[in-house]
Amino acid sequence: MSTISLQDTHHDDHGHGHHHETFLTKYVFSQDHKMIAKQFLITGIIMAVIAMALSILFRIQLAWPDQTFPLLETFLGKWAEGGRIKPDFFLALVTIHGTIMVFFVLTAGLSGTFSNLLIPLQLGARDMASPFLNMLSYWFFFGACVVMMGSFFTQTGPASAGWTVYPPLSAVPKAMPGSNIGMTLWLISMVMFVASSLMGGINYVSTVLNMRTKGMDLWKMPLTIWAFFLTAILGILSFPVLVAGVVLLVFDRSFGTSFYLSDMVFGTQIMPNEGGSPILWQHLFWFLGHPEVYIVIMPALGISSEIISVNSRKPIFGYHAMVYSLIGITVLSFIVWGHHMFVTGMNPLLGGVFMITTLIIAVPSAVKTFNYLATLWRGNIRFTPAMLFAIGLVSFFISGGLTGIFLGNASLDINLHDTYFVVAHFHLVMGSAAIFGMLAGVYHWYPKMFGRMMNPKLAYLHFWITFICAYLVFFPLHFLGLDGVPRRYYAFTEFEFMQKWLTVNVFVTWAAIIAALAQVAFLFNFFYSIFKGKKAPQNPWEANTLEWTTPVEHLHGNWPGEIPTVYRWPYDYSKPGAEHDFIPQTVPFSQTMSSNLPHDFEGNEEAERIQKEWEANNKPAQ
Amino acid sequence: MVSTIQQGDIMMNFKPKKFVVWLFVVSSTIMFGGWTSYYLVFSASKGKGHGLVLPDAFIYSTIVLVLSSVFLFLAAKSLKRGDRKQQQVFLWITFVLGLVFGFLQFQGWSGLYHTGAALVNNNAAISMIYVVSGFHLLHIVAGLCLILNSLIGSYRNVSQEVATYRQDIASIFWHFIDILWIYLYVFLLLNS
Repeated sequence: MSTISLQDTHHDDHGHGHHHETFLTKYVFSQDHKMIAKQFLITGIIMAVIAMALSILFRIQLAWPDQTFPLLETFLGKWAEGGRIKPDFFLALVTIHGTIMVFFVLTAGLSGTFSNLLIPLQLGARDMASPFLNMLSYWFFFGACVVMMGSFFTQTGPASAGWTVYPPLSAVPKAMPGSNIGMTLWLISMVMFVASSLMGGINYVSTVLNMRTKGMDLWKMPLTIWAFFLTAILGILSFPVLVAGVVLLVFDRSFGTSFYLSDMVFGTQIMPNEGGSPILWQHLFWFLGHPEVYIVIMPALGISSEIISVNSRKPIFGYHAMVYSLIGITVLSFIVWGHHMFVTGMNPLLGGVFMITTLIIAVPSAVKTFNYLATLWRGNIRFTPAMLFAIGLVSFFISGGLTGIFLGNASLDINLHDTYFVVAHFHLVMGSAAIFGMLAGVYHWYPKMFGRMMNPKLAYLHFWITFICAYLVFFPLHFLGLDGVPRRYYAFTEFEFMQKWLTVNVFVTWAAIIAALAQVAFLFNFFYSIFKGKKAPQNPWEANTLEWTTPVEHLHGNWPGEIPTVYRWPYDYSKPGAEHDFIPQTVPFSQTMSSNLPHDFEGNEEAERIQKEWEANNKPAQ
Repeated sequence: MVSTIQQGDIMMNFKPKKFVVWLFVVSSTIMFGGWTSYYLVFSASKGKGHGLVLPDAFIYSTIVLVLSSVFLFLAAKSLKRGDRKQQQVFLWITFVLGLVFGFLQFQGWSGLYHTGAALVNNNAAISMIYVVSGFHLLHIVAGLCLILNSLIGSYRNVSQEVATYRQDIASIFWHFIDILWIYLYVFLLLNS
């Protein structure tokens, strides 16, 4: 019942600001969307650093499988006995690296941060539909992180079945060490995570549909909001299916049912399970899993749309096309999951259907890419750090997206399935691209979040090293994949045909280490600037959207007085005839008579008449 | 002036919150959709369903749940008229019927168990009966909490707006789980 009373007092506070905040209600159990956004971001950054460290560990193993590193034993104990990472631990490392990066960093860290920050600020709302649910969403996410990390401190180690946790490895506790308590913790963590995502997503959708300020119709929303909105819809429609699948997996693991299991023999012991099918897990998993990759990339695409437009000082090219592409991706992403399962013995006809839908989804993706390039074309580009990262996203999205066309082809996939080609593809198109979108967002909205600026010099250093090294890490992996090198293998020395790739692995590992070191520049810049950064001006990037009309110093309820009204779309940059090269959404057309265009009035005849009258009276003196 | 803005804010805030309940209904539907599609794919590939005659308890529980929905509807009508006393009576009846439903579900499970169709089973379709009805019962528990929430509001004499809001979210959710159970029951009947 306390929840209800909390919510009620909360609303009374709107527009006042006289309520008493303690440290606990302001920084810990905060219900303010801006604070929750920061909580998501900082937790996401910490999880990203952890997942990156894990990747460096397994990269070291891949580069120097025969060498010993006594330091590793110091830190990892029995998992690196004699200074060499054990095979079981190697599998745990890749599994947890994938899980953390996909779910905790690129779903919660990205969507959680920027949806929370920007939906109320860019739409002109005091807060989310349900601030309490929003707070709960963060704490479930935090709990999920703690449980997942907790699995490192168990006797048998974390889950090791890969981030897709296919049964029977995940369903039979004695299948391998990681299938034991580590897998149980993975499942608990995932259920908490899904609960968090759903609470967040439901809140975002409700806020976007119900709480826009006056004048903010759907077609005046910035593309960021469109992207967050459609991402949230994707989450609401797909995450419950993962829960359904996970519940059945838990029953198989803990109660002895046979949803996914059949005909198994362990040593001399015949398992009692009968009649289930592991393929059914793959169907349920990928029905979430594929939309999930769009849940990861769409917010990044939305963020870069905004940043590219602001910093090109041009309207985004094809605003409507951008929205329809996002909608197209949203719809199509539900009917492509089978392309993860081409080699499961799927009916070739069904494979053909999934192949066609997969290739069709390339169309809206390409539309978005061309629109980015067209926005940049002859723009008055300002290479701010955020802009560089947004352009970096476009680059990764193209180079990673092209290989998707290869993989989406059912017959080519027979060769490429589960090889390093897949690893290279998704690390570029959703890994690097999405993380660059997230970093772009951090650099762009840092002044809004913390009221201070980040150091641009460190940011440029961070960008160039990360950008170059990301390509150096992931590009060579394509060639390993084309040669048939499978992913998740522990030591390349064990197979003769893989040995020639050892030198490439050394190169890739060095590139990864340098990229990891470059992140120190970011981390220092981020945490140092919170306290010592230059004070941010009101509108540092001269952007049009509503969030820059709020005071730099945060206050509960966002705007001190009335919420501003919106009169125009958010992309009036460099409008011919205008006084400045940007016109904020809050400026009515009556104040910009010299730059109004006929289609601005959306068929309002009275406004058109006034405009014509004004133009007749103010003919340019020639 | 300030107070009118405040009032406006409060009024504004119920609509999005009610919408939150609707969205939860959607995602919950999809979770059960995941299970029933598992069931369809499973039974299509194995050529068998659960193959049972479902226990009578499930028929009775269905009737009880439909009745409870009717009483909840009456409670909402009483509230609209401003008759809190009558609303409370109807809410209590709904609450008790919800408890009876839960009891009957346990009866149904024990009936299944005694005919040899246990949860741990080599036919995943039979295990699925327990999974879907069990998770449906969890939803019933949540629904009972919402009804209690509405009842408490009614006894504490909260304003008409707040009472309507509490009644509304209880109604949305309870009618949803009612329809959900009918769907599940008919699904299991048709796909034996």
